[in-house]
This record gives sequence, structure tokens and C-alpha cells, in this order.
Amino acid sequence: MNTDTLPGARTLALVAVLFAVAPIPVAGSGYYIGVLSRVLLFALFALALNIVFGHNDQLFLFMGGLGGIGAYTTALVADTVGVTAWLALPVAALLCGGIALSVSWISARRRFTVILISILTLNLQLVFTEVFVGARDLTGGSTGFPYELFSLSGVAETAGVPTPVVLYYVILAFLIAGMVLYIWLINSKYGMAFEAIREDETAAESIGIDVVRYKTIAGFVAGVIIGIAGTLLAREATYITPSIFTFLAVDVIALVVLIVGGIRQTYGPIVGAVVVEAIEAALSNYAANWRAAIFGALLIVLFLYFRSGVIVTVRDVLDDDVLPGGGSGGQPVETEAD
Amino acid sequence: MVSVSTLAAITVDGLAFGASLALLGVGITLVYGLGEVLNLAIGAFAVIAAISASLLVDGGVALPVAALAGLGLVGVFGLVVDRTLLSLVYRSEGEERILLGIFTTLGLAVLLEGVLVNFVSSRYSLPLDVPPVNVGAALVTGTSVVSIAVASVVLLVLFAFLNRTFLGKATRTIFQDERGAQLVGIDPRKIRTLVFVLSAVVAGLAGLLVAARSNVGVGNAFQFTTFALIVSIVGGVRSLVGAVIAGALLGLVNTFASFFVGSYVATVILFGAAIVFLLFRPEVMSS
Repeated sequence: MNTDTLPGARTLALVAVLFAVAPIPVAGSGYYIGVLSRVLLFALFALALNIVFGHNDQLFLFMGGLGGIGAYTTALVADTVGVTAWLALPVAALLCGGIALSVSWISARRRFTVILISILTLNLQLVFTEVFVGARDLTGGSTGFPYELFSLSGVAETAGVPTPVVLYYVILAFLIAGMVLYIWLINSKYGMAFEAIREDETAAESIGIDVVRYKTIAGFVAGVIIGIAGTLLAREATYITPSIFTFLAVDVIALVVLIVGGIRQTYGPIVGAVVVEAIEAALSNYAANWRAAIFGALLIVLFLYFRSGVIVTVRDVLDDDVLPGGGSGGQPVETEAD
Repeated sequence: MVSVSTLAAITVDGLAFGASLALLGVGITLVYGLGEVLNLAIGAFAVIAAISASLLVDGGVALPVAALAGLGLVGVFGLVVDRTLLSLVYRSEGEERILLGIFTTLGLAVLLEGVLVNFVSSRYSLPLDVPPVNVGAALVTGTSVVSIAVASVVLLVLFAFLNRTFLGKATRTIFQDERGAQLVGIDPRKIRTLVFVLSAVVAGLAGLLVAARSNVGVGNAFQFTTFALIVSIVGGVRSLVGAVIAGALLGLVNTFASFFVGSYVATVILFGAAIVFLLFRPEVMSS
């Protein structure tokens, strides 16, 4: 493994292997494959949010809507042109990337604060939702339409496993690709520029960093990932309706996932997704009706008291035990001003 | 061809919807102007007032009493939220506080919706039983006229309070210069509490007015919040008069658009207006 071009490749390979073997003990259970797939999907959403919000202070609150654009576009392009969804997906992903790029470009040019971006994208989210429900001719309105694109059954038959298992590995492949992209990005000149811009935008500009360019690139990358994640989310549900892509169904969960795992932590999205989906799976057995209430409460408590996330907290505890008085290690994380 | 009387009726209905929008916008503006907290749970406050009043009416309580009880309940709830959640938010400063305010009130909105759906899952209304009114040649629903009247009176009282009383003046001082206010002996925290409770009650009234005209369910909470946001964006988030004008205007635009081009396009126009305003006048939210 060439650790020079991709720092931490060993860890990533280990994570990939762990997730690759994860379905084996539960392969017979469609339910657990679904849970595992959702872990990967929300890790993917949170990964995009980590790039754009964590490293860039651009709070995208339209991940659900953008993911929906990805899913509807993939389905509609594939149907209209009569091509396989595999060809339609890049088109949809580029469209989502383009939308996110425009938002980032305008926000960066006009020096929008994180609050303005959040309100702007929240409004876009609601426009998208209105269009999904309202444009019945295209989207089937609030009942949507069955969505079984990406014909995976052939592969499934050849391999002798159920289709959801194949889909799980497809999503895993996208997540690992996303992680490779993320690790490369953060350790390249882009990552350094992001860091400089986040520290002090004016200072970064004065040493020749093109702030607008870097923010726009981050927006584009996040948009592409969100578009793909949204499409796969709809594929996992095998049905495409506006309710999959609401603010509460996607954005709130992705935010909780990212904060639980740890913002700006490489494996924050994955750790967070595992924790959150474990909570969600537990709730669905005992308190399905209280799901929204519990995630709302989580969002409050996490932001008030636990903003550095699981990874940093665990590392701090380990550091204190192993090396008393040792530093916190790892990347610096913003401290709370109490 | 649409007759003049129909247009007049649409105008009155539009203004009635605008009255609720104005109240919601004022609710957001009051709190943001004073404490820099963008209350994303404001729609939940509106829904709580409407549903509790409706349940009381179903239980045999007279409508005015039920309405006041609904407002009282939401006021007390606002006080609890202010003393607990917002106290934690106000510990931080500047952009940090704004971000924390967004996340805690967003979490509160999700929490409230998640709790409420378990108990009040249907849709509720507050029928006023007011006969239609003749305005010139047009026959308009009595409910719309009552909505406009009630909202106007409440807004006038609110403005009189802010402009004429000592407390109101203290409030406006903090709007303009927090440190200066502290120097002359005004406790910003107490004023913030007062204003937050006030904004909760104003939002509750908006909920009651919407329920008087149509059905309200828990699922409307988030929609109300976004309407409130749109109004404060278009009106300028620190301007109360702006919020009132923007509310009336957007109510008219929305009602006319839904009459002529359909309700889903009308909603897209509302959000579109907010986005355009954000793009061209971003300073309304940031300074």
C-alpha cells in the first residue's frame, strides 16, 4: 500500500474489510441488511456534510432535497432516454453537484455567513419538496412511484445472494470511494486551503488563497456525493416518494450522525452512522413512535454538550489513561466557549 | 374574466393569511433582533396554541376562553424554553451563539413534533361561526375580517408597548446597543425572557388565526416556521414594521397566486421570493 499518496490507507482498508464481512453473520436477514445499508448511506450523507460544513463552514440544510433531485433525475433520465440507471446516475450527480456549486459560488462571492447559507439552503429544501409533491406529471406527487433501477438481480442470481446484499456492496463501494476522495482532499493543498479559510478568511485571501474557488469546489464535491447518496437511498427503499427526502428524514439524521461521530474527523461520519443507526434500530423495536422526539432531543444535547463527538472523546479518555497529562492528540477541534 | 368582487374577496382573504404571516414574522424578528436567536421552533408554538385551544373547544369550553388558554399555555411554555434551553444558548457569543440557537431550536422543533404526533395526530380547527360580510360589492368570509381585525389590534398594542412604555423602550435600547443598555442598568436577560414569551404568544395567535380559517395539524409546525422565516427575510429580520408589511404582501401574493396558478406554484413563489431576497439583500439577516 502506498501510504504517501493516501495517508491512513491501512485504516481505511481495515474499515472496508470490516464492512465487507459485516453482512455475513446476518445475510439471511433482510432487516439487518437494510440497517447496515442505512449505516453506509448516512455515513455517505455525513461525509458530504463533513466536507462542506465541517471543513468549509457552509451549512447545507438541503441534503434531503438535493438527494431527491439526484434520485428523481436518475429515474427520469433513465426512463426518458431509455438507458440504464448506471448512465443516468452520473448525469444526476453532476446536476446535484452543479446546484450545490451554484449555491456555494453565490454564497462565497457574497460572503454569506454560515447562518445565511443555512437559511438559503433550508428554503431551497422546501422549494424542492414542494416541487416533488406538486409536479405530479413528473414525480407522481406525494405517492411517488416504484423505483427498481440498477438491475442488480442478475448479479444477485449469479452470486446466489439476495438483491439487497448486492445493493449493500454497491453502496459500500461508493462509501469507500467517497472516503478515498475525502482523505486525499483533506491531505492535499485543498485541505490546507480549507483549514486556512476556516481559521481566518481574510488572512487566507491575503496570502493568495482563492476563497471563492475552494468553497465552490467543496460545494461541488459535496453536491455530487449527496446526489449519489440520495439515489441509493431511494434504491434501498425500492420506492421513490417525497417523504424519503424531507428535511427531517435526511438532514436532521445526517447532522446528528456527523456530530455524534465527530466533525472534521476522518471516520466521524462512519462512527456516527453506526451509533445513530444502532439507536434507530433499537428504537424501532421498542419506541418507533418516539423516533423523531428522541432525535430532536439528541440534536439539542449533542450541540450543547458533546460537540467534539465520540472519536475525540474516546481518544481523550484513552490518552488520559495511557499517558497522564498527555495532549488530546489528533486534529484540533474547536473548543466550546462556556 | 374574474369579477371585481371576486378580486376583492381574494384580497381580503390574502390579507387575512398575511395577518398570520405578519404575526409569525414579528415573532421571529423580536427574538432575533434582541437575542440573535433564530427561533426555528416558532411554528411548533403556533401549532401548540391552535391545537390546545381546539381541544378545549371540543371539551365544551367557550371559544374566547379556549383561545386565551391556548395563548397562556404557549406563553408558559415559552417561559420554560427561555429559562432552560435559551439560557444555555446565551452563554456563547456572536456567530457561535447564532449557530447554537439554530441547532437547539431546530432540535426543539423536531422534539416537539415527535412528542406531539403521539398524542394529537389528527387535524384541528377553531370555527368562528361569523357570518360573511359585505365589503362594497364583494361578499367576504367573516373569519377573514375577524383575523385581520384581531391581528391589527394585537400588532398596534405591541407597537404601542415597544414605543411608549419603559419596558418597551428598554427592549428597543437592547435592540440597538446591548452594552449601552447594560450601562444604564437594564438587565438584558430579563428583557430577553419577556420578549421571548411575547413572541411565543404572538406566534400562538398566528396559529389560532390559521386554525380559524383551515385545519391545523402537528405536521404544519415546520411549514409555519418556514413561513415565519420567509417573512423575516423579506421584511428584514430586525425590522418589526418590515415584518408586518412583508407578511401582508406575501399573504396577498400567495393567495392571488394560488387562485390564478394553483397552490403548489404559489408556495414555490413564496420560497422563491425569500431566496431572491436573500441573494440580493443578504444584509437583512446578517447585521
